[in-house]
Parts: sequence; structure tokens; C-alpha cells
Amino acid sequence: MPFRSMVRDLRESFGNISRRKFEVRIYHRGKSLGSSSDLQDGPMVIQQSRWASLPPELLRDVMKRLEEDESSWPSRKDVVSCASVCTTWRDVCKDIVRSPEICAKLTFPVSLKQPGPRDGVIQCFIKRDKSKLTYRLYLCLSSAVLDENGKFLLAARRSRRTTHTDYAISMDSKNFSRSSAGYIGKLRSNFLGTKFVIYDTQPPFNAGRLCSQERPPSRRLSSRKVSPKVPVGSYPIGQVNYELNVLGTRGPRRMQCTMHSIPESAVEPGGVVPGQPKELLPRLFDESFRSTATSFSKYSIADSSMDLSSCRYSECGGGNPQGGDAADKERPLVLRNKAPRWHEQLQCWCLNFRGRVTVASVKNLQLIASVPPAASAGASAQPQASVPSSTSSHDTVILQFGKVARDIFTMDYRYPLSAFQAFAICLTSFDTKLACE
Amino acid sequence: MASAGSGDEKAATVTLISSDNEHFEVPEAVATLSQTIRHMIEDGCTDGGVPLPNVTGRILAKVLEYCNKHAAASDKDELEKFDKAFVDIDDQATLFDLVMAANYLDIRGMLDLTCQTIADMIKGKSVEEIRETFNIKNDFTPEEEAEIRRENQWAFDD
Repeated sequence: MPFRSMVRDLRESFGNISRRKFEVRIYHRGKSLGSSSDLQDGPMVIQQSRWASLPPELLRDVMKRLEEDESSWPSRKDVVSCASVCTTWRDVCKDIVRSPEICAKLTFPVSLKQPGPRDGVIQCFIKRDKSKLTYRLYLCLSSAVLDENGKFLLAARRSRRTTHTDYAISMDSKNFSRSSAGYIGKLRSNFLGTKFVIYDTQPPFNAGRLCSQERPPSRRLSSRKVSPKVPVGSYPIGQVNYELNVLGTRGPRRMQCTMHSIPESAVEPGGVVPGQPKELLPRLFDESFRSTATSFSKYSIADSSMDLSSCRYSECGGGNPQGGDAADKERPLVLRNKAPRWHEQLQCWCLNFRGRVTVASVKNLQLIASVPPAASAGASAQPQASVPSSTSSHDTVILQFGKVARDIFTMDYRYPLSAFQAFAICLTSFDTKLACE
Repeated sequence: MASAGSGDEKAATVTLISSDNEHFEVPEAVATLSQTIRHMIEDGCTDGGVPLPNVTGRILAKVLEYCNKHAAASDKDELEKFDKAFVDIDDQATLFDLVMAANYLDIRGMLDLTCQTIADMIKGKSVEEIRETFNIKNDFTPEEEAEIRRENQWAFDD
């Protein structure tokens, strides 16, 4: 065909001309050759993928510049776009982007399940929509407390059942169904709203121990035999309990949060949160995911209809009293709400929210780590410096939640909690029925 | 040919030879903006000219335009203006060649400029637009595609 030979000739010649900023491609394999007006712009050359031969260090240089320039949302979506172009670009982007623990920035959806920053907090807000029974979590884009400008992070929808209430948590603001690609976990409360369990679709580092005691062995499945109809993983990663304090309803309620997926050692110097996900895994196990299913380590799927009252959570998370040092290190992290002080003049309970919470509400809370005093005489084998008091080094507020307007609440979180965990914990504060006069 | 010595009447020069055999006689002060050439001059292997098989005459001319300007001018604003015009090219193949030449010749300023220009070209574009601009093939598996779709939907969700 004459056009083919013409194109071949043009390939030989130097340089090509683009229209605007885009290279116009003309495929010579049967696809339409474009209108004649294309040809009038000048000689067109089939673009070899020259950019694909850009040396990796240059690609990296370009990506790094982009990532540094687009450090906040909404322009940070450019980083996600770059990671979606091809496998090479994706590898470079994923390598460049640091986890929120280090850079205090949320980039890819997996950031939602990675611990927050060690230095500083990530500031978010939650918008409640009572008519739709939904709650939406947004990343604050400015420091103004009442600025409704935010980057959407997660959404939850409440469904009340006879014996319990469920909150489905999704990264898709419109789709909460368990079968949707956006579903990433849920919260379940008991009838009174005094006990809650947080479920993650992805296994934590101690998944085997977490679930093995709760399920009858017959339902255990090895990863190689995942059938298409198996429901998504549902791992209980945390438990939240509310109770009245000694003053009954005349004082603020007490809240305790046991994070089974975070060992107590995570908040000690040098501690880390093990088992962090590298990707937000695809939800559904069907034929096309067989190849990824085999890369999971063996896990067991918890029955999400477990009866809360019969859960023996003290046995979960590797807390084996005879385990010795190893078990101690893996004791689940417990968070408690910081006790407010009674302010005699203002006649109210006060916490210092540093301007991030402006409306008094029983829902407002600050969570700190509750770490027991250093090992007693019996287990003194490890050369640990003894901490003078249990809370002296753990006064950092890990999660702060509180009201700023009728349906708007701020949520600030930091290491070792992730945005997903923090959001789930805050949802419990909405639901619990324990009142305070 | 590099003239040894006095430097009063004629500054030392070096001859650069492009891949298509174009010869450019360039003052050393200008050529040494390229670390690659600087090292060669220091090592004394520039007699008879420096062959640059990776750079065509057309691109080398542009590179030297940059080097001439940056070796001479000292006014920051003037240089900024020049740089902006320098990379204001519609033709991406030239931009690609320039970044490759800057990398090969190790010209820090030009490398920064061209890499930043490429980064700026990417900003604000959709995934498809980026692929089109750089003619990059989508080589993800269907599973990866589904994951990426989910990621993008979230990133663009208001």
C-alpha cells in the first residue's frame, strides 16, 4: 500500500511533528488512517515508544519531582495517575512514595490501612448524614476547623439489626455492599452499643491466632483451595468497650479499645506495627484472582456472624499467659480515653483539644496508649529499662475526635493507628448509647 | 584543537563531533558545563575532537545554545526567561532528545530543567492522556487493571 511505504520513508527521516502537545498516532495495521487534514499538518511518523526507553534514573527523577510538587490533595491524584500508566511507572511511583508513618501524607488507598505519622497527626473530619445513615471521612485540606473542603477517604453506612448494628466501611462513597470493590471492613456493635468489634478484610500479622479459636475447624480453608463462593476475609482486628465510670451517668463514660492487630510493643521505642498491607487487596475471590490467592500465607476466614457475647477476646492476639517474653511483646495494644478534668468554674468536664474540637459533646474523646508498668520480678530476663509510671511515656494522644458543628466532627490520628482503624473507633462513639448528664 | 597557554587572544576551545559528523568548535568554558566533557578535557583526551555518538548535530546545537547562555549570562532573571523559552517546544521528540543528551553529557542545570518540564507536562493529565502523550503501552494484567481502576476512582472521588 502506498501509504505504508510513505510511512516507512518518513520513519527514516528525522524528527516528527506533533499537533498541540500530543503525538498523533497513525496505526498502519488496518486501523483508520485518519482524515486528510491530519496529513496536511506535515509528515507524520509512527512514534516508536521512545519514552519507554527513558533510563530508569531519569524516570525516577521526573517522578520524584512530580511527587514533591503535588504534595497535597487534590493535585496529589497526579501521583496515582502516574502509577496507573504502566508497570514500570507504577514500580517507580510505589517505590518513591513513602508510607504515611514517615511522610504524614496519604497517597494510595493502601495509605488508609497503614499507620499514621510518628511525628505529628493527620487531620481529618467526619461528616454525618443522618437521613442517609452515612458517615464520610475526609482529609482536611486546610487548617481551618470548619472548612468543609476535604479529600474523600472513607465512608460508612449504618444498618440496624435486631440484635446488633453494622457499619459497612468502604472507600467508595456510593457503594457499601460487601460485594463491591470498595468494601474494606466493618464495625459491629452489640444491641446496647457497649461492645464493638472492628473487622478488616485483610489479615493482620497474627491472623491465624486471632481467628483459629473462634471457628469450627471444618470451615478452615487453605489458600490454595479458595472456592469462588467463599466470602471475603473478615478479621476481627479490634474491640471497643464502653462503660460508665464510677460516677455513673454523672461522669464521662470510659472507653477502652483493644487493638488485636497492633502489638503493645509498637508504641515502645523502636517498635513497629507488623503485617502492614502493601496493597488494598481486591475484595472478591473469583477465578481471576487464583494467582494472587496463592501468594497469601495460609489464613483462616472468621465467621462474621459470631456471637459477640461468646467471644473470648482475651484469648485472641497471642496473649498466652504461659508464652513468656514473646507473648508479652505481642500483647495487643490497649487504648483508653483520657480522663477529662472537672473544671470547677465552668462546671463541666474538660479536655484540651487544642482548638480542634469546639462543641461540647459526650462523643468527644482523646485516646492514649494504656501500657502496664514494666515487667515484674518474675520475668526480668529481658534487659528493659523500667518505666517509672505506666503512662509517663504514653501521654501522646493517638486519636482525637470531637464535634465542631452539628454534623461535622474532627478526627486527628497518628501512629500506630491507621485511618481505617481510627474511623471505625470514632464510629463507635456515635453509636454508643451510654449517656452522660 | 585546544590551544595551550597564553589565553590572551584565543581562549582554549574543544571540538565536539556529533553522531552525524557535524563539528562544533566550542570554548572550553562553555563546553565544561558538561561534566562529561570536563572530565575528558582534564584527562587530556580531547585532541582531534570529542566524538559524541549519542547526540545528533541538531540536538548538540541546542545543547550548546544552552551552555553558551549559561556560561555567559549571570543575571538570574535573564537566565530564567531563557530557560522558559528553551523548553517551550511543541515537539516532544526534541524534549526527549534533550533530556537524554543532558543526562549523557551530565549537564546538571539542563537536566533539572528538562526533567522538571516533563514532570510539568504530566500534571493534571488523566491516565489515558499521559499514555497518549508519551506513547506508553498499558501492560497491566486484567487483575491489576481492576485494582488500578479502584485506586483511580478513589483518588478522583470528591
